[in-house]
Amino acid sequence: MFDSDSRLSRRDALRLAAAGVVSVSSSGWIEALADEAAAHPARRRACILLWMNGGPSQLDTFDPKPGHKNGGAFRPIATAAPGVQIAEHLPKLAQQMKHLVPVRSMSTKEGDHGRATFLMRTGNLPQGAIRYPPLGALVAKELGSASDELPSFVSIAPFRPLSPEAYGPGFLGSQFAPLIVGESAGSVPMTGQAAATTFKVEDLEPPSSMSAARTNERLAILAQLEQRYTARQPTGPALSHRIAYDRATRLMRSQAAKAFDLSDEPTKLREQYGKNPFGQGCLLARRLVERGVPFVEVTLSNIAGNQGLGWDTHIDNFASVRRLCEVLDPAWATLMTDLKAHGLLDTTIVVWMGEFGRTPKINDNGGRDHFPQAWSTVIGGGGIHGGQALGKTSADGMTVVERPVAVTDLLATICLALGIDPSKQNDSNVGRPIRIVDPKARPIHEILT
Amino acid sequence: MRRIGTATRSTAVVAAAPALLLLFSGNLARAGDAPAATAARDLVDPWELAERIDQRLAAAWKAAGIQPAPLADDAEFLRRVYLDLSGRIPSVGEARAFFDDPSPSKRRALIDRLLNRASFAAHFATTLRTLLLPTATNDPQMRQVVRPFEIWLRLRLADNTPYNRLAAELLTAPLGSEMAAGRRMPIGPGAFYAVNERKPENLAANASRVFLGVQVQCAQCHDHPFREWSRGDFWSLAAFFVEAAPLAPDRPAMMPVAARRGIEIPGTGKRVPPRFLGSPAPLPESEPASRAVLARWVASPDNPYFARAAANRLWAHLLGYGLIEPVDDFSAGNGPSHPEVLSELARQFAGHKFDLKYLCRAITATRAYQCKSAGAVPGTTEARPFAQMPARGMTAEQIFASLVVATGLEVGDQGNRGPMDLLDADSPREKFLSRFADTAPRTASQTSILQALTFMNGTLVAEATSLTKGATLRATLDAPFFDDAGRLESLFLAAYSRRPSQAETAALLALLQKAKSRSEREAVFADIFWAMLNSSEFAVVP
Repeated sequence: MFDSDSRLSRRDALRLAAAGVVSVSSSGWIEALADEAAAHPARRRACILLWMNGGPSQLDTFDPKPGHKNGGAFRPIATAAPGVQIAEHLPKLAQQMKHLVPVRSMSTKEGDHGRATFLMRTGNLPQGAIRYPPLGALVAKELGSASDELPSFVSIAPFRPLSPEAYGPGFLGSQFAPLIVGESAGSVPMTGQAAATTFKVEDLEPPSSMSAARTNERLAILAQLEQRYTARQPTGPALSHRIAYDRATRLMRSQAAKAFDLSDEPTKLREQYGKNPFGQGCLLARRLVERGVPFVEVTLSNIAGNQGLGWDTHIDNFASVRRLCEVLDPAWATLMTDLKAHGLLDTTIVVWMGEFGRTPKINDNGGRDHFPQAWSTVIGGGGIHGGQALGKTSADGMTVVERPVAVTDLLATICLALGIDPSKQNDSNVGRPIRIVDPKARPIHEILT
Repeated sequence: MRRIGTATRSTAVVAAAPALLLLFSGNLARAGDAPAATAARDLVDPWELAERIDQRLAAAWKAAGIQPAPLADDAEFLRRVYLDLSGRIPSVGEARAFFDDPSPSKRRALIDRLLNRASFAAHFATTLRTLLLPTATNDPQMRQVVRPFEIWLRLRLADNTPYNRLAAELLTAPLGSEMAAGRRMPIGPGAFYAVNERKPENLAANASRVFLGVQVQCAQCHDHPFREWSRGDFWSLAAFFVEAAPLAPDRPAMMPVAARRGIEIPGTGKRVPPRFLGSPAPLPESEPASRAVLARWVASPDNPYFARAAANRLWAHLLGYGLIEPVDDFSAGNGPSHPEVLSELARQFAGHKFDLKYLCRAITATRAYQCKSAGAVPGTTEARPFAQMPARGMTAEQIFASLVVATGLEVGDQGNRGPMDLLDADSPREKFLSRFADTAPRTASQTSILQALTFMNGTLVAEATSLTKGATLRATLDAPFFDDAGRLESLFLAAYSRRPSQAETAALLALLQKAKSRSEREAVFADIFWAMLNSSEFAVVP
């Protein structure tokens, strides 16, 4: 795990001792989960993050306000969770709400796309020299294993330019960088040949002119060269190079890479998810989790007909959100039923969020603008007591009136649901260790099982 | 004895100087000796400086009972110094010429040659750009603003502009309508302002990190528990950058300097006046709170942070670790590992008018720079503080440039403009760089699975090692005067900048002898070359 260069310096160790830092899990949580994991070692926990790029509107999805003009054009509908209503364009998902918890009291202070993206993905604002890792890299490090055939952090169709650093491994290093697939998927509907190639891992296969036998011969020569060189450079960058090549060749040669080929899934199921990159991305996420990948994220950003950043609906909010929901609803609902059908729902936490919410007041363009003061995320699946709503906003949606939730609270909750101790420390790039989540976070124990 | 006397004299000079200069206390004072006062009296040539550094390091090793690694052999030194000063590995011809040169001073002569090449300016421009604009490295949209910035750096470095003048030029860059969205950035340092959104707090944090070697941004929101900087300190520095903030989101012209002096600490209602970092007194009212005034203080030979921060960074660039680590985090609790070495370097750097080439010459002439790479000494597996050279990963630019040199790869569609060219926006080079871009420190450099796949299976390396398109490979195979051992030697020199050992040659000849036809033999050569380029020895700076 740690190479010799990343030990705590004596200075840091003394500093930590002086600050009285002790790593303690809060409620016996970790021990209980660890026991469970020990009993079923093959049932590793996983997280699927559905990332809604641009900042999804909460009033038009999970926190409808029918009694107020801010509520806008959509009506609420009942769901399988008693007392919980969501907006009308998520009918299939409404049936899945018994597994999910809308967290309606998110409250953050960042309304800039780039900074808010970084904040929600890493739990910290981008500042100065510290290269904070995103949740995916942190989870990959805790739950992944160097002997896995597939990488432990996979990002499907991300939209990175808003905050490229939030899609990297941060100070945890390249070993925990996400494997990115489908980045230029855009809004191409997935049918026919295009469908098979959209999630191909780039450069996974040698050039077609190279036979398998020849490839093996080359790799054998490479192994021979490395064997000699290891004695001269056993650690450091050379070791990382060897590890990466080892994992890459395993990926090349293994059956595990077939996970990315969706053609062996039943056509009916593929249609249920929706023949678009997000829908098929959710299907891929289920397949990856099935094969032991602990963290997969699927981004919903661009869809046909929407300009710019999918959920960033400054203009013509209702038409855009409706189009987005038409993609989101079948994909997410099918993901839930599919996870359950494969016996994965109890060990997979599903998180839905964007970088912030949108203004309750509708602007002159029929749109909603950035709004971090009171917005919604959704969390459910394994480790979460679904079928209830957490937190409340005011009747006009402008403020949080019950149980405000900060980003660190949410990330700590996800960690606990995954059996990860959020107070655990990692060596950072500035010489001092940094905890997975800020210790001041208040996990939402009310919804943890 | 002499050193203490010198310090007292320099402190007296500082105290007598006008109010702009600084007063210190405790640790800060010792590490921040004003360099200029001794400069006139004690300027030495780079090799004498190297000697002094070596003596101090040797004394420290002796006191700690550390046995330093032996000197690196010619091959390790050659590859290392080419990568550090030219940003690429040497060509086969350059390697052969160096190995065959019998002159005892060939290492010093090589360094001189490399410092005078255009590749020095290009490589250091890339290095400084990565330092100044770290977030722009990974962002394809940001590459638009990066290009003119890097060209500006390259021009200044080619002229051997003093480093303090370069810093001052960046700090006082004119900002105006050319910064408006959609307009192309002119060649110059404007990108620094663009990536920091022209916000005073971002500009102050990054200027301090880069030029003063001090991380103050933690104090942006609260007094930092471990460091000595308060919110007031941070915002007083940010006050100098108020003029850089645009008048309005759509009006990119600068604020007039005469606007309200100082800056409000957000959320407190409290205004702080402009004040230099570490100075107890605010800027006198007679001085305008402008970036020009700040730049004059930063670039002054008497600035206690600037020369030291620069010397530390250059040391870290060449030796893998700085004398202060992390390099941009000097504080009372995080001082230099060898304070006298750093003071000496800073003093001489300032005395020599912040000449980067002078400092490069001095540091590369030290025994510390020239010793064997980590792990190369039997029984040791870690780099000890400057007693052994730590292995470092190559940057994306270095990997690409080295690949081009090793394989004779053709790049650029309007003929071969050379491996260091910046002008092609969608070139194979740009695509490669964004795949391999990584701002991690070189000693902690890591390879990702996608990078490994690109190198193994991607078209770039495939072409470079193909029997038809790979120029070096083809030339090696076609040359009539080589036997197989000679061909292997040529490929080793191309990829590894060294000759193969007897055992290596024997093992690979055995493989070649299995081939039954000429074309099969050629294919095995291609396989060997491919494997060498994909090996960790190719990717590591020894």
